[in-house]
Amino acid sequence: MEVVKKIMTWARIKSPWILHFNTGACNACDIEIIAALTPRYDLERFGVQLKGTPRHADVLVCSGAVTRQIEDRLIRIYEQMPEPKFVVAVGTCACSGGVFDGCYNVMGGIKSVIPVSAFIPGCPASPKAIIDGVAKLLESLEEKNDTGRKS
Amino acid sequence: MFESLFYILIFPGVLFVSVFGLAAEVMDRKIYARLQNRVGPPWFQTVADFIKLLGKEDIVPIDANPRMFRIAPLFALTSAVTVFLYIPLWGAQSLFSFNGDIIMVLYLLTVPTLAFFVGGWYSTSLFARIGSVRAVTQLFAYEVPLFMSILASALLANTWSMKEIASFYTQHPYYCFFNIIGFAVALVSLLGKLEKVPFDIPEAETEIVAGIFTEYSGRLLGILRLTIDIEMVVGSALLAAVFFPVGMTLAPVIGFLLFIVKVLIIVAIMALLRTVVARLRIDQMIDFCWKYMVPMAVCQLLMNLVLKGILFR
Repeated sequence: MEVVKKIMTWARIKSPWILHFNTGACNACDIEIIAALTPRYDLERFGVQLKGTPRHADVLVCSGAVTRQIEDRLIRIYEQMPEPKFVVAVGTCACSGGVFDGCYNVMGGIKSVIPVSAFIPGCPASPKAIIDGVAKLLESLEEKNDTGRKS
Repeated sequence: MFESLFYILIFPGVLFVSVFGLAAEVMDRKIYARLQNRVGPPWFQTVADFIKLLGKEDIVPIDANPRMFRIAPLFALTSAVTVFLYIPLWGAQSLFSFNGDIIMVLYLLTVPTLAFFVGGWYSTSLFARIGSVRAVTQLFAYEVPLFMSILASALLANTWSMKEIASFYTQHPYYCFFNIIGFAVALVSLLGKLEKVPFDIPEAETEIVAGIFTEYSGRLLGILRLTIDIEMVVGSALLAAVFFPVGMTLAPVIGFLLFIVKVLIIVAIMALLRTVVARLRIDQMIDFCWKYMVPMAVCQLLMNLVLKGILFR
């Protein structure tokens, strides 16, 4: 069983499919995420593919502070993803709420609604930072060998 | 009994055709990446994707019909793998060859599309249903030119079995060039059958999320992706066997390598077409098939009928 587990972890690290979801960002982080997916940075080298549906995705890439209106949708999208799943918060707003923290219409960072595996700060986070963050998330998978549930 | 099991499960059955299909997809994606000036995925990418999907959770939507939802991908995979047993790999004969096997191969290649339709329809997601309807609409457009062009080649050989086609074209290798229009039509129709760009209308990512496959996840999605890979290899092998059955009488190993090369060349041409064109709308696709491809296929049929009169008087 040890070998099967190792192969599984290897496959998970080599093929992260992502779903991009805007939870209330100003669009700057979204543009940087799209830039990271262009042929210039060529994320397919690491097996990353952008998917249209949460059913196919392994990593949910969120940008922006969570607004009250998007909260239910974010939880719903998260629950539609099959296990094991990970969440990456891109940008300062997604990490902590940023300048919108404490506003009447904002819940705060992504972690106030769903569990987050990796935080990538920056305003906006540059494509290189995003790639670095995702790579670090995958490295941590290898060490922990876990199923992706974060307590 | 034991021998048949070996044929079905290992070579040239499930195991071999799966590995070949996954390898062909890597090649397809690598060529696509190189033509866009980027490095592209590593060689093990599709294997990693497949293993990862096997290890993921299977979600069946609450409104979906669980039995139909689960059985459709298996049905598609089975029929796609079965086709490969009837395609001659070398020595001018497939394992289970009989008169009329080309008709059965074409029929079995239609089954995956219908199974995708059933799977998409019973997942009851709106996107999946739109995708399913598009897949079947598309089926009526590309199926006719595909059948006509492949059967035109068989018509010239005056037989409906792949074995006879191979031996006929081995005797008269230059007759292959008469079928060049038919080959072009069949190649473009095959792109429609495989739901690849420019005919990826049923799973158009930018319009309807992932089309038929929207609600599929985990193991079932892995099976569906494997089915499409196998369909790609099998379709290319069919084209290679029908339009270029040269070198079939060579020694087993060389003949087999030649067969692999032929299949990979057809896959490479499809990757090239995928890079240089954009997606059509469903109405444009149907117009294109019925206005240009069908007349070309009819031309090929008439040409072969006339040629038959001239050559074999």
